[in-house]
Amino acid sequence: MSARRWAVALGLLALALPFVLEGNRFLAFVYSIVMIHLIWANGMNLLYGYVGLMPLMFAGVAGVAAYAMIYLTRSHEWSFWLAAPMASLGASLFGVLLGLPSLRLTGFYFTLCSLVIQTVITLAFVFFPTFTNGDTGINQIAPPQAPWGGALSGVWMDETLAIVAVLSVLLCGWIVSTRLGKRFMAIREDDVLAEVLGIDVVRDRIIAFFIVSMFASIGGCLFAVTIGFISPRSFDVLTSLNIWLFVAFGGRGTLIGPIIGTIVLAPIPYLLQELQGFKDVLSGVLIIVVTLLMPGGVWGELLRWRDRRRARRALAVGQT
Amino acid sequence: MSLLQVNGLVRRFGGVVALRDVELTMEAGETLGMIGPNGSGKTTFVNIVSGHLASDAGTMLFDGESITGASPHQLAARGLTRTYQAVRVFSGLSVARNIETASLLRRDARAGAGAGAGRADGATVDELAEWLRLDRLMGKPAGSLTLFEQRRLELLMRLAQRPRLIMLDEPVGGLALTEVREMIELLAQLKARCSLFVIEHTMRVIRELADRVVVLMAGEKIADGAPDEVLRDKRVVEQYLGTVHA
Amino acid sequence: MSDATLLVVASTLSTGLILGAIFALVAAGVTIVYGCVWLPNASNGQFFLLAALAAWSLTGAGLGSAAAIIMVLLLGLVLSLGLEWLLVRRLYDVPNRNVACFVLTLGLTQIMAGIFSMTWGRWSDQYTLPPLVSGITMIGPFPMTNNRILVLLIALVVLAASFALLRYHRYGRALRAVFQNREAAALRGVDVRAVYRMSFLLGSSIIFLGGLLFALAYSFDLTVAWTMSVTAFAIMIVGGPGSVLGALVVGMVFGFTQAIVSIFASPTAATFSYLLAMLAMLLFKPTGLFLR
Repeated sequence: MSARRWAVALGLLALALPFVLEGNRFLAFVYSIVMIHLIWANGMNLLYGYVGLMPLMFAGVAGVAAYAMIYLTRSHEWSFWLAAPMASLGASLFGVLLGLPSLRLTGFYFTLCSLVIQTVITLAFVFFPTFTNGDTGINQIAPPQAPWGGALSGVWMDETLAIVAVLSVLLCGWIVSTRLGKRFMAIREDDVLAEVLGIDVVRDRIIAFFIVSMFASIGGCLFAVTIGFISPRSFDVLTSLNIWLFVAFGGRGTLIGPIIGTIVLAPIPYLLQELQGFKDVLSGVLIIVVTLLMPGGVWGELLRWRDRRRARRALAVGQT
Repeated sequence: MSLLQVNGLVRRFGGVVALRDVELTMEAGETLGMIGPNGSGKTTFVNIVSGHLASDAGTMLFDGESITGASPHQLAARGLTRTYQAVRVFSGLSVARNIETASLLRRDARAGAGAGAGRADGATVDELAEWLRLDRLMGKPAGSLTLFEQRRLELLMRLAQRPRLIMLDEPVGGLALTEVREMIELLAQLKARCSLFVIEHTMRVIRELADRVVVLMAGEKIADGAPDEVLRDKRVVEQYLGTVHA
Repeated sequence: MSDATLLVVASTLSTGLILGAIFALVAAGVTIVYGCVWLPNASNGQFFLLAALAAWSLTGAGLGSAAAIIMVLLLGLVLSLGLEWLLVRRLYDVPNRNVACFVLTLGLTQIMAGIFSMTWGRWSDQYTLPPLVSGITMIGPFPMTNNRILVLLIALVVLAASFALLRYHRYGRALRAVFQNREAAALRGVDVRAVYRMSFLLGSSIIFLGGLLFALAYSFDLTVAWTMSVTAFAIMIVGGPGSVLGALVVGMVFGFTQAIVSIFASPTAATFSYLLAMLAMLLFKPTGLFLR
């Protein structure tokens, strides 16, 4: 099967699964978690995999959007379908504004800067309880309205998540194929050379950062209405690091990598809910393994293995 | 009007003066060589003109317009580009993708074909690739090429930008003798296409290519003229050629 | 001044001094490893906490404070060696290793935090060490426990020693040579990897000592680790990566800031101000205030 057919099949499978899993509440829940994290992983991949920046403030931006969405729906009685896009837009602009100066930095300094910004956002969530209810968090977040009246829930909520997740993959694939995406990859490979070739590196980074913040924000709003409860801990630096791990583990800079990473890793915290400490150890170990042993991630290593095998076979054919 | 005009360029690093009041003009179509011992400020000069480094004083005009403080991508849009002493390509991307990236923002990409008119060459990327013998390497990752191939790819990428001036920082650095010969020939053919500014230690490159030579010494310009004259200049011979290339 | 005010001033001064010295110490440990080897150790706060927790367990098992400190320092040395051998040395030749190492140590942070919450976190939620020495000394009108005076002295002595080591000793010169140009240093016969290893060991040991001193002076809980990590990075960035002098000065400033802010507001407000100071520094002058 060609890559395109595989993609279509995968997409259809993703859209059909909510109906298959409808009977099993637990599996359906895990599925919805995977879909939300898939949106996030795609955003993270765009910035980390294609532009080469590691944004540890990712979850913070998602949190700002989620809190803003809740504020708009609760205090101003906006519909979720209006509040979520507006909150996402606002949070992304806010993220760009915060990140703007740091986008001139690269590598470790950018990452450290984003870590500081993330920590400041988390502290702000805790210490400005007017909007966030502080450490206690906000519960009983109302689900979105269904177009046919009432609340969107159950299988239709899962289907909505699946649709957004599939769209996020498509959008990511499209962006990467455009001239913008090619500029991103040039910046990732060598930002100085990219600049000499006429690419406005800082401007392109800002564009990327905005797009990525939109992915983060929309994921954040959907997370809030799906789980029904958020607190500052839902959007702390560990969340950012986890999403990064999905991308790095699956394979940065590929479309399929983050999907693999998310499917394998996103359910784990929910399966190990009783073992909080063990979960931290596991993801810590995975981070170290990915950094040291498989920088290309699962998919990257697979491709490399295939290329090596092909090369060896070509060599063998050449010798006979 | 001169293509490039640099007036009173000064750059200090801490207490050290790297460039002291450097004046330089370059005409369109000219090939200018710059020589000088290590640490005389040649690369600093290119870094400043190409927008990588800020100057402490001085002005720069490109084609009559001020480029002081312009960033590299703005200069690229005006047709001024450069190469590096250590070869620099996107080593993780294929040769074809390297070239594609270089053509993404070439000067006349948006304006359409008309903007290229009035220029001597209308060579397509394919023709350039054939000329630089890269046409068979398109699918390979740029990082797997030999140094000479990478240098040629670098040239092709700069030409794909359709520049008016290329500043080359030691274009034959690290190449074998036969490759140096070939590179000089390529650059000699290139002279017809655009203006070149060449930093080199290899005197052969300067003698065979440059229309005019500038000598930099401890951040100061000490000579400026035709290669024959300058290379015979007593000061230059004593201080530079005499000591380094005796 | 009334007696009450005097007491507040005295305690603020002593807290500022001790906190400042400990901050400076930990930041010096981080800055030596980062500034010299380009390895930013994000898990420094967990090292710090580990030392404190280990000392707590050892003294709890009946060991004297002094013996516990020596045991913990030895343990720290062994642990750092093991870590260097297992993980860190694999990064020495990686280009762009500061990002890789930062991520790696973030992973380590998560592992250690997970282990701590599963072990010590179950045993207690507030930890106190018996003092190293007893008694109170009056410094002018200010009373101060001998224990804290000793802690302060040890911190300052170690800081001065590491400053002197980097500036005047043969090892410090080798280290600077490696930092400026690794290839040239290798050609001149400097064993680059040994220098890297030494720096990592030295830096980690200083961080361990910082944790011990903090535990001796104050009671602590598990949250101190992350706060310390962030604070140490903030001090390093503001003071200038690689500068022990910068770590000392900025560490002291941060220590006093925390002591003063804590009178009026929660210590988190102080953390907030460090973060903003670091952000401003990163954005406008990433080389820091002090030269290395």
